[in-house]
Amino acid sequence: MRVTVEIVGGETREVEVAVGDSYVDLLAPTDLSPHTVSILVDGTPVPEDQPVETDHVRVVRLVKGG
Amino acid sequence: MECDKCGTPAVMHAAYSGLHMCEEHFCRTVEKRVRRRIREDGLVPRDATPEDPETWVIGLSGGKDSVVLTQILQDVFAEDPRIELVALSIHEGIEGYRDESLDASVTLTDDLGIRHEVVSYDEEFDVRMDEVVEDDPEGMAACAYCGVFRRDLLSKYADELDADKLLTGHNLDDEAETALMNVLEGDVTQIAQHFDSSLGPFDADGDGPADRERPETDQHIPRAKPLRDIPEKEVALYARFEELPAHITECPHAEEAYRGEIQDLMLGLEENHPGTRHSIMAGYEKLAALAAEAYRSEDDRDADFGECENCGAPTGRDRCRKCNLLDALEAV
Repeated sequence: MRVTVEIVGGETREVEVAVGDSYVDLLAPTDLSPHTVSILVDGTPVPEDQPVETDHVRVVRLVKGG
Repeated sequence: MECDKCGTPAVMHAAYSGLHMCEEHFCRTVEKRVRRRIREDGLVPRDATPEDPETWVIGLSGGKDSVVLTQILQDVFAEDPRIELVALSIHEGIEGYRDESLDASVTLTDDLGIRHEVVSYDEEFDVRMDEVVEDDPEGMAACAYCGVFRRDLLSKYADELDADKLLTGHNLDDEAETALMNVLEGDVTQIAQHFDSSLGPFDADGDGPADRERPETDQHIPRAKPLRDIPEKEVALYARFEELPAHITECPHAEEAYRGEIQDLMLGLEENHPGTRHSIMAGYEKLAALAAEAYRSEDDRDADFGECENCGAPTGRDRCRKCNLLDALEAV
């Protein structure tokens, strides 16, 4: 499945995920740590350990660096 | 995924505890952890009374950490006549960046009805950080100058406001990074000072696990960090959920390269071994307590302290670091 990962204030990229992959796996191709960002689905943060069930997420940087 | 406490949709996962929480339960646990830290550190002394209250100065930058700290302290102590809160903001002369975060600070303190004092490097020292980084007479990072000036003003105004304690918004990530840096630099003196200046409980007979407390000192305003159990991301999420007026961008002069390396290392460890930040601090605090005790018994540092011959600030030398830096800037 392809998911559009939109990094707010940064680039947007398409990420290929396998069935059962979690939201945190969407960050793998970026240099972002899950401890510095929040992943939003329809504007609401989601727990990063949950399986991806959408084709579009926004990533908000909450913490500098990392 | 549902909240472990109520069954509504979870918005976050704390890997170190395994908990999934909804917005409501997440926010309540943040507040609960801050209240527990205040209790365990013995911040409210037994002899504080409505007739003789304590004054706490909150270092309010307008960033997420200090905004969350101010909001939670006001929620906890607004109705408590034993504690008076004053917010103190410092304008370092960083155009744009600090103007916006000061706006956030003013909005917050207006909303909360907290007394708010604003001081600036410009008015106090006739310097502005935007110019200091250009002149740079000592060949140092911007943060090195800024830290000296900030500590001087916080301590001066804490004194003028007759403050008993200075509270800052340092979070778990900040403290664990500092702990790692002190350990990796082998700086045991710094570790001992970290305990005595801000980590050690005021009252070891309180409810906390610590069996050592920090000594009283007349030289520096005692500091405390009530957010130091909360991971940085959770502080930011709290600010977002509670819709607090926090200003979130990085200082344009920030260049603490080593801290950045440590942050990468620490968050990598946290990802592979959830709970690393908490365990770093749990062990470090015990070691810091032992180091502080050993160093105090060796020599009483207070005995070496005098006053700066130029400005009267407490210093171990003839002239304080701030006055030396101001002289160097003057000479450019």
